[in-house]
Amino acid sequence: MLKNYFKTALRNLLRYKGFTAINILSLSIGITGCMLIGLFVWDEWKYDKFIQGGENVYRLYTERKSTEGNTSTASVAPMFATHLKQQFPEVDNTLRILMAGGKLLLEHENVKAYEEKYMFTEASFFSIFPLKFLQGDPKTALAEPSSVVITSDLASKYFGNQSALGKTIKVEQENFVVKGVLAGVPEHFHLDFNLLLSLKSAGLPESRMESWGWQQFFTYVKVKPGTNVGQLQSKFQAEVKRLAHPKTSPGGFTYQAYFQPLKNIHLQSSEFSYDNAKRGNETYVNGLSSIALFVLIIACFNFINLATARSFRRAKEIGVRKVIGADRRQLLLQFTGETILLSLVSVLVATIASMIILPALNTFTEKQIAFNPFTDPILAAGLIAAGMLIGILAGIYPAIVLSGFQPIKVLKGIKSSSASPGHVQWLRQALVIIQFSLSALLIISTTIVYRQVRFLHETDMGFNKDEILYFPVRGEVAKNPEAFKDELKRSANVVAATAGYGLPGDQYAGDGVIIPGKEGDKRHSANLFIVDHDYISTLGIKMVAGRDFSKDMATDVDEAFIISETAVRELGFGTPQKALGQPIHWDKWEKDSLNPLKKGRVIGVIKDFHYKSLHEKVTTTVLQIYPPALAKMAVKVKTADLPNTIAYIKQVWSRFSPDYPLDYKFMDESFAAMYKSEDKLGSLLWIFTIMAVVVGCMGLFGLAAFSAEQRNKEISIRKVLGASIGGIVALLSRSFLKPVFIASVIAFPIAWFAMNKWLENFPYRVTISWWVFGIAAVAALLIALITVSFQTIKAALSNPVTSLRNE
Amino acid sequence: MIRIKELEKVYRTEDVETVALNKLTFEVKEGEFVAVMGPSGCGKSTLLNIVGLLDDPDSGSFLFNDIEVVDFNERKRADLRKRNIGFVFQSFNLIDELTVFENVELPLIYLGVKTDERKKRVEAVLDKMQIMHRRNHYPQQLSGGQQQRVAVARAVVNNPRLILADEPTGNLDSSNGNEVMQLLTDLNEQGTTIIMVTHSEHDARYSHRIIRMLDGQTVTENILV
Repeated sequence: MLKNYFKTALRNLLRYKGFTAINILSLSIGITGCMLIGLFVWDEWKYDKFIQGGENVYRLYTERKSTEGNTSTASVAPMFATHLKQQFPEVDNTLRILMAGGKLLLEHENVKAYEEKYMFTEASFFSIFPLKFLQGDPKTALAEPSSVVITSDLASKYFGNQSALGKTIKVEQENFVVKGVLAGVPEHFHLDFNLLLSLKSAGLPESRMESWGWQQFFTYVKVKPGTNVGQLQSKFQAEVKRLAHPKTSPGGFTYQAYFQPLKNIHLQSSEFSYDNAKRGNETYVNGLSSIALFVLIIACFNFINLATARSFRRAKEIGVRKVIGADRRQLLLQFTGETILLSLVSVLVATIASMIILPALNTFTEKQIAFNPFTDPILAAGLIAAGMLIGILAGIYPAIVLSGFQPIKVLKGIKSSSASPGHVQWLRQALVIIQFSLSALLIISTTIVYRQVRFLHETDMGFNKDEILYFPVRGEVAKNPEAFKDELKRSANVVAATAGYGLPGDQYAGDGVIIPGKEGDKRHSANLFIVDHDYISTLGIKMVAGRDFSKDMATDVDEAFIISETAVRELGFGTPQKALGQPIHWDKWEKDSLNPLKKGRVIGVIKDFHYKSLHEKVTTTVLQIYPPALAKMAVKVKTADLPNTIAYIKQVWSRFSPDYPLDYKFMDESFAAMYKSEDKLGSLLWIFTIMAVVVGCMGLFGLAAFSAEQRNKEISIRKVLGASIGGIVALLSRSFLKPVFIASVIAFPIAWFAMNKWLENFPYRVTISWWVFGIAAVAALLIALITVSFQTIKAALSNPVTSLRNE
Repeated sequence: MIRIKELEKVYRTEDVETVALNKLTFEVKEGEFVAVMGPSGCGKSTLLNIVGLLDDPDSGSFLFNDIEVVDFNERKRADLRKRNIGFVFQSFNLIDELTVFENVELPLIYLGVKTDERKKRVEAVLDKMQIMHRRNHYPQQLSGGQQQRVAVARAVVNNPRLILADEPTGNLDSSNGNEVMQLLTDLNEQGTTIIMVTHSEHDARYSHRIIRMLDGQTVTENILV
């Protein structure tokens, strides 16, 4: 029996090659999309699942409320860990990782390099994250000051073939001892590092470790099995309120603590400012999954539509089979079996396609996903099962319709329009509408994402980020930046240079200022930019009122502030003009100075500039000169002869700071990198939109062919009676354009809603203009029209005599 | 074998009612060869469909081998049909995707006959119909007469007790038509009951009894034997 089914199925598939090709191709495209996205999503979900006991590990994060609104941060105060460990018996262990930026200079014998992937952390690291050691004892490796644990890669970089354990390595010119060598850091670990330093080596004073306000630590908690974490969180929140709020409120903010399960860190942290985790984006992962599903649905609908549309061709077979004894169940089995066969072939095609495309996807997503079901029987079985499921889902409805045919009707030669019940026609229209709705949805979304991405890249940032390279200052350059700058400017290719702490796209200090008033001092949180006299001119920031810092004004160093337009509003100065001369006080960072408070006045107001990516809103910004904190330098150069200019800067640098290599970046590249995930989303959307539209069109093409065939007689009679070719093309096209039009109308509000939701993530965003919808509708209609025109024109041009004779 | 009493069947579309069978009463005994004649629309095909368990009457009684089958569900009817009834159609109704052998084999597959047994029986019947040499051809490669012989072979391969033939010679020339009628006569002589709908007086003369229908009722019966 099965053999007979198989034979009929195969012969049917071969006989209607066009139908088979459309189905296999569109299903293959749909399944390929699903497979690739499935692999990507699976890889994203794998994060941190390998950690033994990970189900009891939580990371703490805070939601911070201040005058500037609410933000979530993954970094918390050092007292969180201390208090949790001391006061809560359900806590098994805690772990702190210091949030640190910049690079460390490592040195062993003649190997000298900057390392970026490092963390200062506690000895409990390996009891919470049991990573594999090649050498050393995980329990004690980070217990002492001046201890480091390195990965085997780093060990071979600095120690070659020698054993690294127990050896001394210089970190920022201080001696550290290698206490452990790790096999490596697993790819699916949310932390990425090749160097761990004991927290005790960070030189943090005891008093700072007792702070409830200094949110500088990524903190993990391992609870005892069976702990009710919800309760623990509430109890801890009460403690935070009791202990932390009184300390932070004067600084203008309060925060509340939350426990984040380890398994959620990778995908559910995209909203956090300050996070060191390798982060994915759950919204994008879900979005991509839905899109993959859309394409697959469109492909399955193609199958349903084409199968029911051409059902009249098989009506006779069904009738005969029924007459000679087939019952409905057997026919259901037969037709579903055919779809399963088709779907399995598509799975095979899709598997091969996915294996071919995967390397490109890996490059694109910076992942190392492996996929070879030909060597992995479990995976292969899974794919076969998935293929069968798709076959059943796509095939069951046509099978029900086909097997429901009344033999007496079909054997009398009544054609499908009356042989197939009304709900089939209705359903076919509905499916085409859904297909085109999804396509229109994707077209609109892609257009809007594309516009937003362009906007992110092209918006005027309020300063000029082009042709600027920047680097941390070290050694003599740090001690005497002005002399270094003067030396650089001797080259005609160096346009300007500025030293500061708080360059656009780089780290800056979130701190606060004090506005003295009649009712006492008022604290405001503000982003503080430590600059020199050349900062505003080098970066091309525009002045709105007042003046820039000037070397001619000796008091500018100690008594001048320049603030942004937003600061004018937030600090309550009214207008830029009124802000000039207003007093601002600031707690100096170096507490040992005689005057711990800097008392100054506003000398100028600048236009807001986007020193962060456009994901974040610019907030109160205060610029001041404070030489002890200069950390970075930005140099504006001419693009002509760039290699020589860089060589010149390096040469000057090595004269000043021979012990440190120069480590520079270009500012525009740093900014471009901030929009990487949107860039990638945009590209992926393009690909999937094209896939969806192509698959949808294939279905429409097939439907048009069957429709033209079915209406052959009608077309012929109309032609005999004098219809023009144009008239017939219009007649046939009209029936396809209506569903496409309805589809657009359905897609518009959904797209508008979804895209608005997405755009809400951006404080700076494009508006959704009506023409985007217009374009999508016109595009969908044009695509549909062109697709069906092949068939309609062919039908209209056919000789009426032949088809009438056939009738 | 077949006892039909006061059978009624009405086809309804939105605003037209067509009475196909009007309190028809009719009987066929085991081993009979009955021809049903009448003008188009007299209800003879409807009768054949109901007897063949392909269609339901609206009311009345239909005893097949003394079993009331009017209330049978589709599954039971399919079962009864595949064990007892063979069909021959005017337009042959062979499955285009299957070869001659596979077409004839199909009823046996649905009966669950084993492969070896199937092969034997199909070959035997193809031999009898003298189309063994065409066993691996597809229907579209055969002449009309050959196709109808395949159809007859398929109808008889499971040794049905009843063969229903709906204008079996309608699409054939006279010599092919005579051949098919001879086949049916032979089958009848071997004990198979045959009910044949036909327009052809010539074909009808092969039967034992001619029933003439008009407006859903039998009007006359001619007993030929």
